[in-house]
This record gives sequence, structure tokens and C-alpha cells, in this order.
Amino acid sequence: MAEGVAVAGICPAKACPRTVDAMGISDGLQRLSTELAAAPEAAPAGPLAPGRRAPAIAVTSIEPGGVGLDDLARRGAALLLFVSEECPTSALAVRNLGPLCRAWEGAGLTATAVFEDPLDVALRVARTLGWTGRVVSQDPPYQTSREYGLLAVPTAFLVGGDGIIAGTVVGWNQPALAALIQNAAGLIGSRALPGPPAAEPLLKPGCSSKAAMDPEIAAAVSRPAAADEMEEMYERGWTDGLPVVPPTRQRVEAMLGGADGTSSLGPVPPSMGEATMERLAACAVLAGCRPAYFPVVVAAARAILDPAFNLHGQAVTTQPAGQLVVVNGPVRRAIGLNSGMGALGPGSRPNLTIGRAIRLLVTLLGGGMPGTLDRATLGQMGKVGFCVAEDEETSPWEPLHVERGFEPGQSVVTLIGSDAPQNISDHRSRTPEDLAYILAWAAASTWSTNWWPLAEPSVFVICPEHAEMFRAAGWSKQQLREFMYDAVRKPAGELRRGETTPVVAHADRAEMISKWASPDSIVLLVAGGEAGRYSAVLGPCTGMGAQIISREVEPL
Amino acid sequence: MTTDDAILDYVSPFDERVRQAQPLAGRPGTIAGATIALLDITKNRGAEFLDQVESQLQAEGAATFRIAKEIFSKPAAPAVIDEIAARSDLAVEALAD
Repeated sequence: MAEGVAVAGICPAKACPRTVDAMGISDGLQRLSTELAAAPEAAPAGPLAPGRRAPAIAVTSIEPGGVGLDDLARRGAALLLFVSEECPTSALAVRNLGPLCRAWEGAGLTATAVFEDPLDVALRVARTLGWTGRVVSQDPPYQTSREYGLLAVPTAFLVGGDGIIAGTVVGWNQPALAALIQNAAGLIGSRALPGPPAAEPLLKPGCSSKAAMDPEIAAAVSRPAAADEMEEMYERGWTDGLPVVPPTRQRVEAMLGGADGTSSLGPVPPSMGEATMERLAACAVLAGCRPAYFPVVVAAARAILDPAFNLHGQAVTTQPAGQLVVVNGPVRRAIGLNSGMGALGPGSRPNLTIGRAIRLLVTLLGGGMPGTLDRATLGQMGKVGFCVAEDEETSPWEPLHVERGFEPGQSVVTLIGSDAPQNISDHRSRTPEDLAYILAWAAASTWSTNWWPLAEPSVFVICPEHAEMFRAAGWSKQQLREFMYDAVRKPAGELRRGETTPVVAHADRAEMISKWASPDSIVLLVAGGEAGRYSAVLGPCTGMGAQIISREVEPL
Repeated sequence: MTTDDAILDYVSPFDERVRQAQPLAGRPGTIAGATIALLDITKNRGAEFLDQVESQLQAEGAATFRIAKEIFSKPAAPAVIDEIAARSDLAVEALAD
């Protein structure tokens, strides 16, 4: 390729006639001519041919200490495959050659994909396409591509252990690449190396190398698309503050799984946006749900939108109430919900994303975003999303959904307005009475120290070791609930300080007041790791008249 | 697919319907002779606050009546809103704690 043409098309920064306007046209042209003559090496003049010394590579990688050509070729020979994310021919080359790299490496031929993309993009594309060799990345202005004279990607260079280029192939050319690999076998003294399959297409032209583009165009096309999408989600306000998965049409349709996206679950308080199935699916995508979780999300949405749940009050209140999602039944195991170790914490995608999808429904469709219609003074992390599965297999008792009238074999979601969990450590109790006392009194200060009785539900998550003590003693769930209710009482006179209830205010000083209005205000779940005597209590959301709501998980 | 195509292909989680802004009702120049609804949202001590407001309004020549929501954390029932609209010229809603 003629140098003049290549320079005119590429115009690398240091060869550009920046002073033309200031100097006048004729002076500028004269200066341009001089610069081109002085710096012909600045412009790609076509890929380096065999026999030329391979230039050093200036790249980034995840390899400690970086990657150098000497290291790559030291063991015999190195294959450098220059590629770009946006180029379909590059993808074809990476996919066809990628599975062979490991065998080549074992024989002494290193294979390195040299991306003209950011490293995170390069690694993602390489992984997606099954590339088993090394991955390195170049930043603009793609100096290594320039040094190798790249005009197109993919371009493959075979470099011998002596640092001399032994072969060059531009674009996807299966016969030429097969010959290149056999050439490599000769360089490393190997009888044969596996070559690319002779499958159609055997020939496919490449795409322009970013090194051969106008620098501004190259910069524009090399913006990491994924990162920009993430930022766009923030710009659109489609977030709870954390990064989200962009709800593309394809992802949303996969989430819907054929369900009618136009059907409505009703308005979402407080701003009463209409929850179509499609919008709910968009929330599930944003949250990071897999389509398999969506029936649970739908059931939870139906529950949260039941007027008896009073989402309106819960979404706008100054208190920190979140919406706890409890899952029971076979769907827990089917979608991999965690009810064991760390059941209330991080680590489990279905737990975290199902709870988050429901909260996104409240914030995006309901308008319950903190600082706008959500007026929570402090809030709590459970408002990002809070989904717990009950460990029915470990529990000595009937699970929550069976208590609420469902069959054990039904999958059910139960929504409860609740505060954040408070830990209850007890490693010393040796009787169920002592343990029940400790558990119950841990809740004495929930909501507020002297706010007795609580009418709304307190949720106790009983860990397996604590549950085992009640099992061994033969305690039923109701027996434990009634013991806890009876255990936490105080004379009204001791509760008349600061915030307290009308019940306390109007009672005789000696009248005993319970922490709960009735044993039914105590909800018991079993979950957690098999080791450790740590249970938890989640205080209530009060003043809402909010009911606990359960809905069966149904096929879409 | 172009970048524009990709952007258009997102599914919005929002209800994108545009709602018409409701103009504010006209403000009377005086409250003398007006009928004013005093809505108690049933939050703690809200009634005490309304007692104070009511006596001042009456001193200014307004007629008042009290009405209450079922619970402070839910929107007022349509019947409550209808009654306020039918019986009063003005309304005061008290928030307290």
C-alpha cells in the first residue's frame, strides 16, 4: 500500500497539519509535505511482512508484570492475533482459533489475542467466544497496531523465537491460517499442531483496524459499550443507586417467558404507575434476576399490591420499613434460594435479586424513591431488597405458608413490612425456657424501648441450632410463641418514659403490659447455617394497619 | 444494530404516561364567612393541633367542621374527600406527632 494514501486516510496526530489555518493554505500544504516526508513511519503502511523484526508490544494485561514479546516467543514461537470487539470477522477468528490455544501453548506456541479495546471488554469477549490463550489490550492510539502496520483486524502474525516475523495473515483465511500453524509447528520442532477447522466460511474479509481510523472516530467506536450502558441507566433514573442490568427488549422478553406483557397487576402506590407484566419484567431484569425467578417476583408483586398490605403507607413513611419477601415451598430449591448459611446476607443471586426487583417496582413504578416520595429518615439496607427462604427441611415446625393455610407442596411468597434484622446471640441456654426468654427479650426494644404492645408482626428467624433445642424438647411453634408472649411483660409504670403507647398511658401503673398485642404478632421462621447460635428478630413496621400477605407462585 | 436502535430497544420500567398538572383552586381574599373542613389524619396529637387552629379560624369569622381519616398512613377514603368537597370552601389537614 502506498505510504501517501495510508497517511492521508489515517492522519495520525503527529502527522496532521494542525498549523494550516494559522499559516495559510499554501504554507500548510508545504509544511504537510515536509512532515510526511520526515515521518513516514507514523502511518501504517500495511502489515509487516515475513522477514521483518517483530516490534515490541505495548499492551495491558492481567498477567503480573505485564506481557512482552520476548516472553511470548521465548519457548518457541508466538502467535499474535490482532482483533477488535466490534468486528464480526475478529469474532470468527477468536472463536475458531480459541479452543486450539491451549494445545499450542503446551507444544511451545503461545497464542495472544491483541485487542484494540479496553481490557475488561477484551476479557469478556475472549471468555464469551471461548479463547483459551492469552489476552492483552491496547488503548488509543493503538501504538502496537501501528508498529505492526495494521490496516485490518483480524491480522495474525507468527513470530519465531528469534523475534523475526515468520508469517502474516490478514482477515479470516482458513487455508492460510492452517498453513501458518504448520509453519509454527516447524519453528518449534513439533510434528503437527491442530489447525483451524476447514468449515465455512473459509474466507472472510476483516474490518478496519482502529489504528487505521481517524483518531476521533477510533475513540468514538472504542468507548466501552457496556460501561456506557450502565451510565445511561443512571441517566434514565432506572436504578436504586446500584448498577443495573440494562432491560433490553430481548432480556425482558426472556424474563416474560411468553407471558402477556400488557396484562396489568394494578397501580403501584404511592404514585400509582401501572404495573404491567412487561414493566415488572423490566424491573426484574434491572435487578439481575434470571427468568427462572420471575414467577416468584410476580407472586411477590401481587402480594405487595394487595391494598391490605398498605404499600402506600410503607413506601412514603419516615420510618425505616422495608418489605420482607419470605419464600416457602418447592420453588426455593428449584431456583436455588439460600436458606442456609448467611441466609439473611450476601452471596445468593436469587435472594438478592428477587428482593431487589420488588423494591425496584416500588421505587420506579411506585415513585417511592428516597428523597422524593420515600420520606424515610434513615432507611435501612433491607430497602434495597430483602428476600429470605425458610429452611423447611431443618425446621421442627410447619413452615410459614402451611400456617397460613397453604399445602406443604405449594410454593408461596409472603410479604411482611419489617425493620432491619437485629442479632440475638445465645450459646449458653440449656433449656428451651431460657432460650425462649432470651429470644423474646431481645425484641423488647424493637420499634421503641417503651412502645408496648406491638400490634404488628415481629419476625424471628430462628437458627438451626436454636431450633434443634426446641425440637428436642418437643415444643410446638405455638407453644414457643405463647411462651415468648408471656415472657416479655412490664408494669405500665415502668414504660411511662419518652415515647409510649396509649395503652400504657391509660393503664394503672401496676398493670402488666406485654410487648405484643397477642402471640399472633410473633412470626417464626427457621433459616441459617448449621453452626452458630445466632438468631435474629426483625422489628415491625407500625402504624400502617398493614397485613401479612401471601400469594401462591403460579406458572406464568 | 446501531447505537440508536439499541437505545430504542430498552423496555422502560416507568409508567411513561404524562399526567396533566391540576391547576390550584382559586384563593379567597378572606376566610370570614367561609366554611372550613378540618381534617384530622388520626396521627398522635393531631386533634390538639386542630383545636388550636379551629379556635383561631372561628375568631376570624369562619365556620368549621371536623372530619377524620380512618388511619394516617392511608389515603383518605373517597367518601371523606367527597364530603369535604361538598360541604366546605376550604380545608386544613393537620400533620402531627
